[in-house]
Amino acid sequence: MSLYMSPKYKEQVLDRKRWFEWDYKWFWGSFAWVLHRLSGWALVFYLLLHIWVIHHLSRGPAAFDQVMQAVGTPLFKVLEIGLWGVIVYHAFNGMRVIIVDFWHGSKYQKQLFFIVLFLFVVLWVGGGIIMALHMIH
Amino acid sequence: MKATFKIFRYDPDKDKKPYYKEYTLDVEPNTVLLDVLNDIKWHYDGTLTFRRSCAHAICGSCGMTINGKNRLACQTLIKDLDTSKPIKIEPLKSYPVIKDLVVDMNKFYEKMFKVKPYLVNDNPPPGREFLQTPEEQKLIDEAYSCIWCGCCTSSCPSFWADDDYLGPAALLKAYRFIFDTRDTLTEERLRIVNDADGVWRCHVIFNCVEACPKEINITEYISRLKLKVVTSKL
Repeated sequence: MSLYMSPKYKEQVLDRKRWFEWDYKWFWGSFAWVLHRLSGWALVFYLLLHIWVIHHLSRGPAAFDQVMQAVGTPLFKVLEIGLWGVIVYHAFNGMRVIIVDFWHGSKYQKQLFFIVLFLFVVLWVGGGIIMALHMIH
Repeated sequence: MKATFKIFRYDPDKDKKPYYKEYTLDVEPNTVLLDVLNDIKWHYDGTLTFRRSCAHAICGSCGMTINGKNRLACQTLIKDLDTSKPIKIEPLKSYPVIKDLVVDMNKFYEKMFKVKPYLVNDNPPPGREFLQTPEEQKLIDEAYSCIWCGCCTSSCPSFWADDDYLGPAALLKAYRFIFDTRDTLTEERLRIVNDADGVWRCHVIFNCVEACPKEINITEYISRLKLKVVTSKL
């Protein structure tokens, strides 16, 4: 069913549609979703990088050793700590989404998000310290 | 007390671009925002255009973005808004603007009609009402209190990014009939919502629940639809 629109009106109507409404109020759910998206993109980027690194195996041991040396630098070690955080957040918020969608968890979505944040901070900081200590030694 | 209202203005016959105009008025904390808009229109600036009808949160006409959140002007009290800075009033996000705070709801209605918002029952009439048990009725109790104001769909980031997404209001309407025991069009309705632009575009962001003036837990019903879709043989 389509409703009538005069041609003049169609010309004059103001299209305000934007890809994302940055100035709309941010709620906990918005933060959870944006972080989930960003961590998802980061994981896709990591997986592509991982496949690129591993594909050097087909080019012989020398090529593989060379690329492993590059990803063994301190910069990549620090990035690995970041990767751990990204994995932890994405995994736990993913579980929150599953609980909301399939176990009627929508009433408790905010509390579930706080649990996700708590687990994320504890595991990221804890795991990050262990990884950093490992890196130093 | 004094409060300033920063209102979105756009007159297609005069303005090339929209702009904001500020009005400072004496208001009471318990004043309803719709009364403030009426006051501005009737006593200060007759060119201000907005929709309103019942003024009792039933018709859904006065949905607008107030201080960055979609609400009905007729059930927003001044005391619930931050008056320390100008109160920003805009037309509902994402819908095309016709004039000032009036938006074009055509696309919204098209989506509502896409899910066939009416009861279909092919069985012979029973000669009296189609009966339901209280439990069966409870399933759709909250879902049918939707007033089609469009606040939820306009607040949804999935809808911002994808014009073709059915949106929370249409999905809620679909739920209301799919879970209505008197309706016999369940399979067709499930096929309509089982689409990339249907239930699967909902990423449980909960902006719709925060915006709904009738406090309907829309995401819960969309989730129930998802569950119904994956457990049905379509």
